[in-house]
Amino acid sequence: MGADSRLLNDIHVLKMDEVLRKRAQSLAQAQEEEATDDARSLLLFRLGEEWYAFPVEGVREIYNDCSITRIPRVPEYILGVVNVRGEIMSVTDLGAMIRVPSRTQHTDVEELPSAIIIANEHCVTAVVVDEIGDIAEIPGGDVEPALSTLDKMQAEFVAGSVYIGGRLIGVVNLEKVLEPIGEDV
Amino acid sequence: MVEFDRSAFIAKFQEEATDLLQRLNEGIINLEADPANRPLIDQWLRDAHTLKGSSRMVGLIEISDIAHRMEDVMVKVRDGGMAYTGDMTDTFFEALDVVVYLAEHAGKDSASDIDLVGVTGRLTTLAGSAADAVESASVAVAVQEPSASATEKTPAREAVSVSAPAITDATPEGAESGTDHEHEAHAPQAAQRDDKLQSKEQTTVRIRTSQVDRLLNLVSEVVIGQIKAQQRVRDLRVVSAQSIDALQSWGRIKGMLSVLSPEEQSALDIDLRALDDLLLTQRRELVALAKDYADDTSRTAAVVGDLQERAMELRMLPVSTVFNTFPRAMRDLARTFKKDVDLFIEGGDTELDKKVLEEINDPLVHIMRNAVDHGVEPAAERLALGKPAKGTITLSARQEGDHIIIEVADDGAGIDPVKVKAAAVRKGYITESEAKSMSDREARYLIFEKGFSTAAIITEISGRGVGMDVVREFVVERLKGALDVESELGKGSTFRLTIPLTLAIIRALLLRVGGQTFALPTSSIEETSRIERSSIIKVEGHEVIRRQRRTVPLVHLRDILGIDFGADEIGQKIPVATLGFSGHRLGLIVDEFVGEQQIVIKTLGTHLKRVDNVAGVTILGAGEVVPILNVPDLMTNGRQLTGVRARRAGGAAEQQEDKGPSRVLICEDSFTTRELERSIFEAAGFEVETATDGAMGLARLREGLNPDAVVTDVQMPNMTGFELTRAIKSDDLLKSIPVIIVTSLERDEEKAEGIDAGADAYITKSVFNQDTLLDTVERLIR
Repeated sequence: MGADSRLLNDIHVLKMDEVLRKRAQSLAQAQEEEATDDARSLLLFRLGEEWYAFPVEGVREIYNDCSITRIPRVPEYILGVVNVRGEIMSVTDLGAMIRVPSRTQHTDVEELPSAIIIANEHCVTAVVVDEIGDIAEIPGGDVEPALSTLDKMQAEFVAGSVYIGGRLIGVVNLEKVLEPIGEDV
Repeated sequence: MVEFDRSAFIAKFQEEATDLLQRLNEGIINLEADPANRPLIDQWLRDAHTLKGSSRMVGLIEISDIAHRMEDVMVKVRDGGMAYTGDMTDTFFEALDVVVYLAEHAGKDSASDIDLVGVTGRLTTLAGSAADAVESASVAVAVQEPSASATEKTPAREAVSVSAPAITDATPEGAESGTDHEHEAHAPQAAQRDDKLQSKEQTTVRIRTSQVDRLLNLVSEVVIGQIKAQQRVRDLRVVSAQSIDALQSWGRIKGMLSVLSPEEQSALDIDLRALDDLLLTQRRELVALAKDYADDTSRTAAVVGDLQERAMELRMLPVSTVFNTFPRAMRDLARTFKKDVDLFIEGGDTELDKKVLEEINDPLVHIMRNAVDHGVEPAAERLALGKPAKGTITLSARQEGDHIIIEVADDGAGIDPVKVKAAAVRKGYITESEAKSMSDREARYLIFEKGFSTAAIITEISGRGVGMDVVREFVVERLKGALDVESELGKGSTFRLTIPLTLAIIRALLLRVGGQTFALPTSSIEETSRIERSSIIKVEGHEVIRRQRRTVPLVHLRDILGIDFGADEIGQKIPVATLGFSGHRLGLIVDEFVGEQQIVIKTLGTHLKRVDNVAGVTILGAGEVVPILNVPDLMTNGRQLTGVRARRAGGAAEQQEDKGPSRVLICEDSFTTRELERSIFEAAGFEVETATDGAMGLARLREGLNPDAVVTDVQMPNMTGFELTRAIKSDDLLKSIPVIIVTSLERDEEKAEGIDAGADAYITKSVFNQDTLLDTVERLIR
């Protein structure tokens, strides 16, 4: 990637508070009257045919056109690492991680869909998904325990589920996705 | 083997420590009211001892140190060496408070918030005030030049033993007084250090290391930008050279225009002139631009270089900050191994990156332990050999270019390559014929093999020979340095650590495999060559080449990295990078060499903690992210692929095939230690049973538990480890079960008692690590 395309990247970096706020506006307006103190903001995204969400608190930014460097002998759901303005971070293929068939597994690593950078106080990773959707504000009470029909592998990663616009959305357990890799191996 | 993380046990330790500290505090209060209450003192000592042991197991050395010193005082009270007085209470409380603080902040850099030095000093003074005659340690505080040894080159030869970093220029008071006075010297010294620190704070600014690191991160981005600029300079030169070519072509074309008719020529005249001018101007300007840009870049390069150096200096600390703890450590070591040793320290003012310094302590302690244990001979033997009775160990540091050389030299017996080879053959590291073809130098490197030890650990006191593999791992893997050993039989050995000044920047060879670029640190590359396909020899199904009369196994880097695609070498010449590492060589077949350059090391991020074969990444000038290969991993994995060595697959694993997993019984009253040992054994494939004291352990054995080994602590309620050992060894049904004692009791009499009781091995917690424990147990089971 040359200097020009890096510059381009910087332009592509969409800061959460700018863009996501806009995306949220429509939904927020519709649901204003419902908004309560325990309201939760969820960033929706698609993996294959299914929709999932990250709690917005764990989302740092959305990063486009990241050029991924493969790293040998890592778990299959780690696509490699990416350089985000001097900071190196892993790229996680969430679809592969939670065994949901998604486009990312079939596309060439070079031409990537967007990545959602998620972080907790210990770890950060760029999560590759098929499509990034809106931010949904929902009352905390709307989140229900994950469906018992999920297989064991998925159940670990899905903290709960919620209906938004008639669609069942799995709320992803950030801590699980952000578990460090290779710490004691 | 599964690498083992002590930090996971810190939480458990904290739980346990809370209870212990509560009891210790209560004990002090009760003691003050009833100072001669023997059972109270005994209980208190047991608790302090458990605290010492557990904290050491989780690597909280400061706590262990304080507990140790508190024990020293209380032992004297118990044995009547001094009476318990009210003012002791204050010191104990202060010490316990510090322990509470340390336990709460376990694993975090918190030393600056508490007066650790003051507390330990006061405890030592307390213990020392009882006219301590037993304290005749064998390490003298040597201030006078050593009469015998001959190392004059280094200008700043400080014989540091008591001198704190702050009082280097003055001759340390009390230093000439030798060991007997060390306790007295301790307290005033501590006070002095405090004074110095206070006055120092006024001229300095404290910055969190994380802030410095962030700054360094930005500086390395600037450095990367600079490298890019230098590439642009080269590109620009190429372009300006092209413009000269263009001008020359134009000149030739212009000459041929005379074939045109005069009308045609005059019609083109304006354009021709314009083009002439344009090309000339363009060429002139391009050349000028290239020159100006080159000048600017080289000026900036100087500034960036400076900036980088200054920024790195922010992290630099004198090695004396680490070295100054060694005289005491050496004294303890000398006493443990009953040797007479002087420690000399040179070049304590040499500066090193703080990160490097933090990592360097452990390897140096291991090397010194090795020097005292295996190097320096007992006094009688030395005299018989015509050497001074007292051994000399010299620890020195100096800078050479962009590396720091740290040497630990002893004047002991040296490493006997014949013995090392024999041991290596016996333990299955090498074959008889490999041993024959091995040079002395290579043989000496065998001591760095994982789990290798020339001394028979079993029934020997403490885990001897342990840790040289750890040293190698630290120096090479974590510090990206080199480890070398020179030795002359009968004269002594010198271990040399060559460590980069900073961990941030190294030279690396860029190469391509499977369409991807990788960086290989040049420090471990012996040579790069393009070999003829015909020079590859097949030996027992594996490919090797002959280089300088040595056979070097070949392996495809692609295979190590598990890259299943990439160019098959079509050409006759195959690029091979030969790695040299700890006396072994390995030829890596790659697709293509790209070139050598300086690279800035970055981690793989917070998510990928450790990846096999990859030490980190670097960002090349063009912005490309390139993985940096980890040489020790490549060696291990590569050698496995080539089948050069039938690697010891771990005793437990072998056993599994015959008669199911080995079973071990752990008798240990401390929750932390018990769980830590359990996880070590379970990770190695053992089945683990536990008992919380000797009596329970014995009961389980008599119930017919029939383990393959018993691992026991010594100090436990109801029945001690010694009693348990005696009981096992005097029972005809049980006596064949190996007993391994793991304890923080390090006094020789205690070790002797352990061996007398019939223990098969005795491991002290100070040398405890998973390899010692597993190796010992696996050998005993076998």
